[in-house]
Amino acid sequence: MLQAHSILWHCLWVAPNLLFVLLGVLLWRRGIGRIFPAFLAFAILGSVGDLATYLADIIPSVTPDNFWRVFWASLVIESVLKFLVIGEVFSRLFTPYPSIARLGKTLVSGCGALLVLAAAVMAGFARGDTMIRVIARAHLLEQTVFIVELGLIIFLFVFAAYFHLSWDRLSFGIMIGLGVSACEHLAVWAIIANASPSEHVRTLFSLLGMATYLLCVFIWFYYLLVPGKATVKTKISLPENNLAVWNRELERLLQQ
Amino acid sequence: MTLAIILVVFAVLALVLILRVTVSRALQVSSSDSLAPRIEPLDVDAFRNLVDASENAYLYRRLPAAEFRRVQRERLRAAAAYIRVSGQNAAILVTIAQAALESSDSQTVEAARQLIDSALLLRRNAAFALLRIYVGLAWPTIGLSATPVLLGYERLNGCAMLLGRLQNPTVPVRISVRS
Repeated sequence: MLQAHSILWHCLWVAPNLLFVLLGVLLWRRGIGRIFPAFLAFAILGSVGDLATYLADIIPSVTPDNFWRVFWASLVIESVLKFLVIGEVFSRLFTPYPSIARLGKTLVSGCGALLVLAAAVMAGFARGDTMIRVIARAHLLEQTVFIVELGLIIFLFVFAAYFHLSWDRLSFGIMIGLGVSACEHLAVWAIIANASPSEHVRTLFSLLGMATYLLCVFIWFYYLLVPGKATVKTKISLPENNLAVWNRELERLLQQ
Repeated sequence: MTLAIILVVFAVLALVLILRVTVSRALQVSSSDSLAPRIEPLDVDAFRNLVDASENAYLYRRLPAAEFRRVQRERLRAAAAYIRVSGQNAAILVTIAQAALESSDSQTVEAARQLIDSALLLRRNAAFALLRIYVGLAWPTIGLSATPVLLGYERLNGCAMLLGRLQNPTVPVRISVRS
């Protein structure tokens, strides 16, 4: 059951990707794809790339070299799309707040540069888990991408929490899904790339990664397709005593 | 192996943060009613006095160097407390103003937008001012510049007053009566 090429393994690899393509189609039909074009592209192209990798894995005529070429291409496309999605959510989060949009852009650029630097240093120090270069580099690239991705996601959450910015349901759902996926994948790829686990442990990690991806697809389904509870925001009145203090201040200013 | 452990710990902490944000977002609606009483009134005159550059210059001229550093550190700690309170008030006002954005009255919505802008600017300036203060605690001779926070707080007062009046026109707002 918990082995490569078992029924569970096939299901966990194929199901989330088919569901994600379905989600992409539904988003496109509901017009949400116009609001989040990068996420729509990520849903469709990312899943197609992953399915292509799956096919390359199960078709006997595909050589190991060609499998890794497909894996690399899929990984690069998926990574680029993920960063575009983060940029898309970032832009949507900050657009209603022009007073801090510039600061946000500056900080996220700086944070991104630092994360790339840190990830490059960590990749430099990684000892590599296999003698086969193309595989070791793919694992290191995975680790690098997830360090930068998770760092940017955490930065966005912390920045929004500090300024009490309000997330819309769609952006929040996208970031939660990406965040959960990035946490699990970073931990797993860090262990694979640096600790050389046994083949059985790798298979277990692989299954865990697929299961997490399935969970994330369900999170995206929930946030993007299920309407949020209709919460009527109650008017919060400012306390009178504070208004009195503010009035005093305003009066003082007017008399200056 | 050490690198793997560091990255795994980072990933776990990140996951905890993400789950916490998700839970706190779900609980946000029920806790919003208790926001307004959490605003702490600020003695702006005392704050102004603390960050007054001429006051600093006066103390610098009058006091021996060691005594000036000690006094200045005390003043910086007090200013930091004021700035933290003003930042917290700004954060609460952002949430209050975001609730007011749902209003059907265009004037209220506009006032809420202005309040959000002012509160966010103040929160940003408060963060920078606090950084400067922490540097100032190590080198007290560096002048304290918290004027943007003070001006921001005064602007915030005006925006909050306007929104308060638009939301509660029946509440007497004392502008012309000296207290």
